[in-house]
Amino acid sequence: METAIAVRDLRKSFKGHLSIGRHPVLRGVNLTVPRGVIYGFLGPNGAGKTTTLKILTGLLFPDGGSVSLLGRPLGDPEARARLGFLPEAPYFYDYLTGQELLTFLGSLFGLHRRTLEERSRTLLSAVGLEGKGGLQLRKYSKGMLQRIGLAQALLNDPELVILDEPMSGLDPVGRREIRDLILDLKAQGKTVFFSSHILADAEAICDAVAILMAGNVVREGPLDVLLGSEVRFWDVTLRAPEGFSPPQEAAVLARQGSQVLLRVEREDALQVLLDGARAQGASIRAVAPQKFSLEDLFLSEIPKEEAP
Amino acid sequence: MSRRTLTGLFSLQVWAIAKNTFRESVRSRVFYILLAFAVSLLVFSYVLGFLAAGVIRKMVLDVGLSTISYFSALTAIFVGIGLVYQEVERKTIYNILSKPVSRTRFILGRYLGLLLVLLVNLAAMVMVLSAVLFFVEGFTPRILAAAACIYLELMVLTAVAVFFSSVASPVVSALCTAAFYVIGHTSSALPELLLPAVESPLARKGILALYHLLPDLNLLSINHLVAHDIPVAPGFYPKAVAYALLLVGLLLVASALSFERRDLV
Repeated sequence: METAIAVRDLRKSFKGHLSIGRHPVLRGVNLTVPRGVIYGFLGPNGAGKTTTLKILTGLLFPDGGSVSLLGRPLGDPEARARLGFLPEAPYFYDYLTGQELLTFLGSLFGLHRRTLEERSRTLLSAVGLEGKGGLQLRKYSKGMLQRIGLAQALLNDPELVILDEPMSGLDPVGRREIRDLILDLKAQGKTVFFSSHILADAEAICDAVAILMAGNVVREGPLDVLLGSEVRFWDVTLRAPEGFSPPQEAAVLARQGSQVLLRVEREDALQVLLDGARAQGASIRAVAPQKFSLEDLFLSEIPKEEAP
Repeated sequence: MSRRTLTGLFSLQVWAIAKNTFRESVRSRVFYILLAFAVSLLVFSYVLGFLAAGVIRKMVLDVGLSTISYFSALTAIFVGIGLVYQEVERKTIYNILSKPVSRTRFILGRYLGLLLVLLVNLAAMVMVLSAVLFFVEGFTPRILAAAACIYLELMVLTAVAVFFSSVASPVVSALCTAAFYVIGHTSSALPELLLPAVESPLARKGILALYHLLPDLNLLSINHLVAHDIPVAPGFYPKAVAYALLLVGLLLVASALSFERRDLV
């Protein structure tokens, strides 16, 4: 498969306090992002996600390592012309209207006026800002700014879209809309590379992820490979009569009135539990197989002393 | 999608950034406050002219051209010192430099945008001064030449502000640009004051070398000559243009070089 982003041994450090020494932020990051996928770049705050994204977009210069974007070296204007970028908590010129912002930023790609007007209209509508293009950005809400940010990232109809925390600060409806937009971009054949610490969103839409911890990629790969398809345990909810006693293999997680929540870790134990429950006159309300989640994977990578 | 070739983008990108810089300034209240204050002072020069009975025209010209010079310089410094710095601080630059825009084009666009603001500013003040001069029947087209020379000085001053703005905070930039302005207007006094008092040929050469190293903005000004109806020396204008362009060129190259490899944290 062709590669949209290839990062090898990327290193970056910043000056320490009072310019004494250097503080390493990226310690040899390796990433391979195939074309046409939604790729989540995950990690706790301070892991180096934004630093990596800023290097990819030419805002920071790496200390070492190599980066290739759409098959071209870092800083290549041809690659930049095929790239869309939404910075974290984007700030725009608040004296401009949404339409003026898109016209200004679109002209930096050399888009002709007519194309630009058409494209701006389409994008405003696509991000849910139809009819708001004439409003000054200082009157936009945080969610609206995020949307106009996404619209400006798509002005050049990019092949690769890099989004820094696109769901951050949005309400559930806004998050859902951005997720749908990202899925739309994938359906159009674009590669979406986004950073996030909202794992549920990433798990819902990503084809592949990388987990960055303290400047190192600790896990990378397709989500189904990383999480596996095996069931880790089953949660069973019963309505049990008084005096109900579960088998030894089942752990009681909660009890509320006649309602009991139990967990078993093996399939044969599940069968024993269900048979026993029926035999004791309990009714089975729910059996929920639980797979390994992205959150489980993420937490398993956090060093013990930092884990919640 | 309809798109121009990358090599043909240069002027378009610079112009887009310049236009946005212009829009930013003219939508800022500070711009109008400074302009209103300058216009008030120009009108006030008419009153001053009456106080100095018999030399109304000279007084209006003198005070008027000085007011234009100082307020234009103030606007150049005030707006120029934040020209690059604020873009980085407010992170608005991320949306520009993540596109196929080089940092040199960004600097150039910001610089030209401010020059456009200063041109409009200057034109407005010159119109007010012309109106006052018409009123005292003392209009001279030479104020246009004086205004052109003020603009040359503004080109230099803006380039200084842009340079400092790309490497330092607004406070430091303001101090350094103001220092440049003061040195630029006093450096010509250095040889005038010191040379008569020094006899050693080596020391004299040292003083002259120091003078040539320092900027001399008086080489660009004809305000005094216009106010006193003194003709301008032959060859003044080409020399002034060349000197201003040399300084602007050096400062913009220095700005671009210092900004080119800077991390935008």
